[in-house]
Amino acid sequence: MATITHEEAHAHTHGPELQHQFETPEQQKEAATLGMWAFLVTEIMLFGGIFMAYIAYRWAFPEAWEESAALLNTPLATVNTVVLLVSSLTVALAVNAAEEGRKRRLITMLVLTIVLGVTFLVIKGYEYSEKFAHCAGAKDPISWITGSDLHESHECLVPGRGFMFPDEHGSTSGGHGAAKTATQSGHQLFFLLYFSATGLHAIHMIIGLGVMTTILVMALRDRFSPTYFTPVEIGGLYWHLIDIIWVFLFPLFYLV
Amino acid sequence: MSTLSLPQSSYIRDNSRTFTDWLKSWLLTVDHKRIAILYLLSINFFFLLGGLAATLVRVELITPQGDLMSSDVYNRAFTLHGVIMVFFFLIPSIPAVLGNFLVPLMLGARDLAFPRLNLLSWYLYMIGGLFALIAAVFGGVDTGWTFYTPFSSTYSNSNVVMTITGAFIMGFSSILTGLNFIVTIHKMRAPGLTWFRLPLFIWANYATSIIQILATPVLGIALLLVVVERLWGVGIYDPALGGDPLLFQHLFWFYSHPAVYIMILPAMGVISELISTFSRKRIFGYEFIAFSSIAIAILGFLVWGHHMFVSSQSVYAGLVFSFITMLVAIPSAIKVFNWTATLYKGSISYRTPMLYALGFIGLFVIGGLTGIFLGVTAVDLHVTDTYFVVAHFHYVMVGGTIMAYLGGIHFWWPKMTGRMYNETWGSIAALIIFVGFNMTFFPQFILGYLGMPRRYHVYPPEFQILHVMSTAGASILAIGFIVPLIYLGISLRKGAIAGDNPWGATGLEWKTSSPPPTFNFDKTPIVTEEAYAYPPEAAERDAAAWRPGSPL
Amino acid sequence: MAEQHAHAHAHHHGEKHTHISRGTYYRVFAALMVLMVLTVAAWWVEKNLLEIPGWLAVTIAMSIAIAKTVLIVLYFMHVKISSRMTQVYAAGAFVWLIILFVITMGDYVARGWPPQAGPLP
Ligand code: HEM
Ligand SMILES: [Cu+2]
Repeated sequence: MATITHEEAHAHTHGPELQHQFETPEQQKEAATLGMWAFLVTEIMLFGGIFMAYIAYRWAFPEAWEESAALLNTPLATVNTVVLLVSSLTVALAVNAAEEGRKRRLITMLVLTIVLGVTFLVIKGYEYSEKFAHCAGAKDPISWITGSDLHESHECLVPGRGFMFPDEHGSTSGGHGAAKTATQSGHQLFFLLYFSATGLHAIHMIIGLGVMTTILVMALRDRFSPTYFTPVEIGGLYWHLIDIIWVFLFPLFYLV
Repeated sequence: MSTLSLPQSSYIRDNSRTFTDWLKSWLLTVDHKRIAILYLLSINFFFLLGGLAATLVRVELITPQGDLMSSDVYNRAFTLHGVIMVFFFLIPSIPAVLGNFLVPLMLGARDLAFPRLNLLSWYLYMIGGLFALIAAVFGGVDTGWTFYTPFSSTYSNSNVVMTITGAFIMGFSSILTGLNFIVTIHKMRAPGLTWFRLPLFIWANYATSIIQILATPVLGIALLLVVVERLWGVGIYDPALGGDPLLFQHLFWFYSHPAVYIMILPAMGVISELISTFSRKRIFGYEFIAFSSIAIAILGFLVWGHHMFVSSQSVYAGLVFSFITMLVAIPSAIKVFNWTATLYKGSISYRTPMLYALGFIGLFVIGGLTGIFLGVTAVDLHVTDTYFVVAHFHYVMVGGTIMAYLGGIHFWWPKMTGRMYNETWGSIAALIIFVGFNMTFFPQFILGYLGMPRRYHVYPPEFQILHVMSTAGASILAIGFIVPLIYLGISLRKGAIAGDNPWGATGLEWKTSSPPPTFNFDKTPIVTEEAYAYPPEAAERDAAAWRPGSPL
Repeated sequence: MAEQHAHAHAHHHGEKHTHISRGTYYRVFAALMVLMVLTVAAWWVEKNLLEIPGWLAVTIAMSIAIAKTVLIVLYFMHVKISSRMTQVYAAGAFVWLIILFVITMGDYVARGWPPQAGPLP
C-alpha cells in the first residue's frame, strides 16, 4: 500500500485558516458549503412541519382563513418583503465583495444587511404589538403604552384564552373557553399558525443577525481574503434561506 | 503479529500534568475518537437507567394484580424506559459511538469535517439528557414515548414540557452527527477510496445520516407545537379548538418510522463488517447491500402511516401505507440473503463479535417478519397495541441494534483500547444475552396474540405464566449485559496487547496502531483495492492453519 | 499535490468556478422586485376588482413564490455554480417537503376531515 506522508501533504503553503483535518483550502471550503446546505435542509424541514399544519387547516377551514387574513396588516408586510429582498441583495453583494477582496465594500454591505434585518424586526414587532394592543383594549400600540383610549375590546387576535374574533355584525365569537364550533376555531388556528410561523422566522432572523454581526467583526479584523471568505459565504446562505421562508410566509398569510 | 506494548503515543495518552488539565483535555477535546469515548460512557449510562426503568416494569408484571405500583406510576415507568431507550440510547448508539470513532479512520481522514460541531453534539446530547432526567426526578411523564396528543397537549399533568425539551435538544445533537458524517464521507475520503471501495459500515452511516437530517427537524417542530400548546393554552392539536390530534401523529411518525432505520441501518453496517471479517470472505453482493441501505432510507419515509392503521386515519391511506410497507421489507431481506450467502463456504470463526452477528441475523429475521404481519392491516387490527407489537420492536431494536452495538464494541475494542478482552467470557456473555433475550421477548408474541394489551399493569391471571417467563428472561438478559461491563473493564488493565490488526481484517482502521494516534495516520493512506479484499484462498488457508486454541 | 485530492472533486466534472457577476445580482434583484409587485397586484385585483376562484389565486401566489425561490437559490445562493452534491441536497429538501405534504394531505382528503362532516357539530 502506497502512502503519502503527513509532511508531504502539508508541504504546500497555506493560510492559518486551514484546519488540521483538511488537506487543502478548496476541500475545506467545499466541506463548509455542503455542510451548510445539509443544515439548511434541516431548517427547511423544520418549517415544513408548520407549513404542513397550515395546509391541513387551510384545507379544512377555507372561510376562516379568508376572513382572518383580511385582518393582518398587508401594507406593513409588503414593506417588510421589500426590506428582506433588498437585504438578500446586499448579502449577495457582500459575498461578491469578499470574493474580490474589497474590504470597504464588504463592510458596507454587511452593515446595510444588519440595518435592514433590524428594520424588518422592528416592523414585525410593531405588527405584533398591534395585535397585543387590541387584546388589551387599545386602538394601537402607542395608546396601549400611554394607557390612553382604553376600552372593552371587541377583538383579540392573539390565540389563547382571550381570543376573540370580530364578527361581521360587530358582536364577537369564540374566546372565554366557551365551546366553539369548528368553523369559529378555524380563526384561532389561523392566528396560532401565523404567530408560530412568523415567530419562528423572527427567531431565525435574530440568529441571522448574530451571524452577520460576527462576520462583520471578522471582516473588521481582516480575517478574510479572496482565498478565504467561507464564513461570509455560508453566513450568506443562511440569510438567504431566511429570506426564502419569508417569501412563502408572505403570500400564505397576508395574501390568501 | 502482536507487539509487546501499547504504542508510545495514542489518542488516549496525553501529557497533561494535573487532574484539571486532564479533565479539560477530555471535556474540550475535538478529537473524534475521544468524543466517541465520551459518548460511549454517557450512552451506556443512559442504557443503564433505561434498564432500571425496564426492571420496574417487568417486576410489576410478575403478578396479575397491580400491587407494586399504581397505574399512574406504571405509566411513568414505561414512559421513562421508552424515552431513554429510544432517544438517548438507540438513536445515538451506533452512529455516535462506533460511527464517531470509525468514520474518519475508515476513510483515512484525520478527523471529521467539523470537529467542534462534533463536540457540540455531545454537549447537546448531555443537556438533552439532563432535561429528561430532571423531568424524571420531578415525577416523570406518563404519555408514553410517543407523546400522543391530545393527551400530552391537553390532559396529562406530568412533566411533558421538560421531557419534550430534552428530546428536542437531543434531536439537534443527532442532526449534527448526521451532518458531520455526510460532509465527511463526501469530502474527506483518502485518495483512491472511491464510493464502491467504501466499507459497508460507511454506506450504512451515510444512509442513516440522510434520515437524521431530513426527519429529525419534523419531530422537532411537532414537539415544539405541543409545548406551545401546553404553555399558552392554545389549540393546535386540540379537537375542542378545531385542531386535529392526528396531525401530531402524522408529523411524529414522519420522523419516528424513519427513526427505526436510524437505529437499524448502522447496526446492519456493523453486521456487514463482522460477517465478512469472520468468514474471511469478500462480502456477497456488495453493491446490493450498499444500495439497499439507501433504498431503505428513502422508502422508509413513505410508510409512516402503518403506525396509524387504527387511529382514524383514512382506510384508503391505510391501504397504500400497507402496500408500501411490504416494499420496505425487500431491501432488508436483500441484506439478510447477502449475509447468509457470505457465510456460505466461508471460514467461519465463532469469536464473540461473530456470535453477536449471527444472533443478529436470526433475531432480525423474526423481528422483520413479524413487522410484515403488522404491516398487513387485517392482522394489525387485532394485534395493534398488544404485546405482539412490543415483541416485534424489541426483536428489531434489542435483537437487532443492541446485538450489533455489542458485537461492534467487541470487534473494535482492541482498536479503541489497544487490548483484547477475555474471549471465553465474551462468548459466554453473548450466549447468555441470546438466551435471555429470547426468553424475555418470545413469550410476548404469544401474549400479544392472545390479547394482552401493551401499557397495562393489571392483566387476567391466565397470562401470568407467560409474564413470569418474560421477567425471568429479563433477569438473565440483565446478567448478560453486566458481564461484559466487568470483563471489558478488566481488560483495560489486564488484557493482552492487541496489536494493529488482531482479527486480520481489511479496512483502513486496522492499518494504524491500536489505539490510533491523535491524527489517526502518520501517513495519509492511498487505497488501491476494494473493501473486504480477502484473497480467494484466505478461507482455506485459515482452515488449514487452524489448531485448537489458535486465535482465529 | 493536486492529484491526491482528485477524490474530493470526483462528483463535479471539471472546475466550473465561474463566478456570478454583480450585474447578474442586480438583474436577479430586479426580477424579484417585479415578482413581488406582481403577487401583491394579483392580491389587490382579486380583492377589489374581480372574483378569482380561490384555487386560482393560491396557484398564482404560490407560482410566484416558487419562482422567487428558484431565483434566490440558483443565483444568490450560488447553487447554479455549486457542486453536484450541493445541488442534490438543495433539491432534496424540497422533494422531501412534497413527500410530507402529499402523503399527509392524501390521508386528509380521503378521510374527509374536518369534523363538520362527522357527527360532531
Ligand atoms: C422489516 C421491516 C419492518 C416492518 C414491515 C415493520 C412494521 C411495523 C408495523 C406495521 C408497526 C405498527 C404496529 C402497530 O402499532 O400496530 C411497527 C411497530 C414498530 N416497529 Fe416495526 N417494522 C419493521 C422494522 C422495524 C425496525 C427495524 C425497527 C427498529 C429498529 C422497528 C421498530 C418498531 C417500533 C419501535 C414499533 C412500535 C412503535 C410504537 O407504537 O411504540 N420496526 N412495525
Ligand atoms: Cu414503522
